[in-house]
Amino acid sequence: MIRSEPLAIRVGAIESLSPTLRRVWLESADSGLLPASQPGAHISLTLRGEHGRHHNSYSIVSACDDRAAYQVIVRRTAQSRGGSRFIHEALKVGDVLQASTPNSQFPLQPRARKHVLIGGGVGITPLLSFVRELRGRDAHVEFHQFAQDAEIPVFERLLEPFGGHGLHVHPGREAFDLGALLDVQPLGTHLYCCGPPTLMETAQATAVALGWPSTTLHSESFAPAGGEPFVVRLGRSGGEVAVGEHESMLEALENAGLPVASLCRGGACGECLTVVLDGIPDHRDHVLSDAEKAEGRLVMPCVSRAKTPCLTLDL
Amino acid sequence: MPEQTIKSRPVYSPLQLDPGGRRHLLVADGEGVAERGLAPGTAAADFDERWTIVSHSRAIPSPDEGVSEHGFRSLPHLLAALRRRLGDERMGFRLYAVGAEPFLWTINALAGELGLGGAEIHLCAVGPQARRVFCNHCRTITEGVTTNVVTCAGCNASLFVRDHFSKRLNAFAGVQVDAESPGEIPDIEELYA
Repeated sequence: MIRSEPLAIRVGAIESLSPTLRRVWLESADSGLLPASQPGAHISLTLRGEHGRHHNSYSIVSACDDRAAYQVIVRRTAQSRGGSRFIHEALKVGDVLQASTPNSQFPLQPRARKHVLIGGGVGITPLLSFVRELRGRDAHVEFHQFAQDAEIPVFERLLEPFGGHGLHVHPGREAFDLGALLDVQPLGTHLYCCGPPTLMETAQATAVALGWPSTTLHSESFAPAGGEPFVVRLGRSGGEVAVGEHESMLEALENAGLPVASLCRGGACGECLTVVLDGIPDHRDHVLSDAEKAEGRLVMPCVSRAKTPCLTLDL
Repeated sequence: MPEQTIKSRPVYSPLQLDPGGRRHLLVADGEGVAERGLAPGTAAADFDERWTIVSHSRAIPSPDEGVSEHGFRSLPHLLAALRRRLGDERMGFRLYAVGAEPFLWTINALAGELGLGGAEIHLCAVGPQARRVFCNHCRTITEGVTTNVVTCAGCNASLFVRDHFSKRLNAFAGVQVDAESPGEIPDIEELYA
């Protein structure tokens, strides 16, 4: 992995899409060009919250070759740790933030002959960049977005630039027959899902039951980092770091001055892999295999927590 | 003699029904071949359909729905039907092939072209071991090679037949046998009968 310096970015514009959705334009603070991104990429923003600094990852929804500004869409959540609330309540045009360079753990599959996208709520964001890219390639794409009634027009407007054919916004998924959709897809179809965990689990389980191999199923979640507080004991240096209920283990380690390498901060890339010396991790990542999770020797501190009051790490 | 432990050499195991799939098609390059590539406890009848090259001019696949056994007069005949079939197939399908190695990778290439991934196709090599050999120097493929060294059908080079197999080219790599020490040709052995 080639590391790069954080970017200084300035808020160029803010648009309110709905009471809880904001679109933010982020430009280079020195008015130069930003690094190009790729479909499905995200940036991590360093944000001030009530409980200290957070690094929140947001998918880039603007065109990959638009290097003048990145657009991100941020949902204000009730259980916000402060990051999304900061964006909704405090962020102003002209503010300068620190951001990572774009990174993607959710690539389009080059061999797919058809792409089926399923989004739930703000999970539309990485899929928007997929639709843009696939329309540009004239690829075979079918997009089903699930939304609360009030937000249907919001998502319809976001999808409008890409033409209506094959793009659908549905009011909730109770009435939608996922099985019927996944039963009739041609060979070589890949499924991409982003949304609430229950939507992603249902879509994956339905596909597996219909014979889709796991290599054709792709999902991205930005798992919630909060939970019961616990203590990390540092096996090498002997110190202790308290992890609060509103912060991730990774953030607590960083705030204590331990620079654990990280990229996606969402349990998808494996960059922050850390060895566990004692205690039982509460795994929430998508990297470790079931066997590795059961063994409990490794942990992804960006999303995972502890089942025991104390977790000793090889740090 | 170059090292002959190479990861690209495909490893085959006897076939059994992939429990993840919903529709299963078994193709074989000759009569009585399919059975030789099945794991104990697996029968050809377990597969929804069996397609076999019977090398007979009167072989015609049945147009009737529900017929599970189809014969084809040749490989091109079977490939044309398979191309049509895979174009109409849906996710959940699994393809199995039993036969000589060049047959397997011809099927695999067609399946890949029509969208099947590695998890959706299962191969088992049985029968003749003769190799297709790709000349690394002139790119000619020499068919039916059974010896450790062969004369390239394109450039007449003496090629050492490596275990290095290219799935894309459906051939083993052949390299000038005396490239390091000109004139030094090892004894020719019959290895791939």
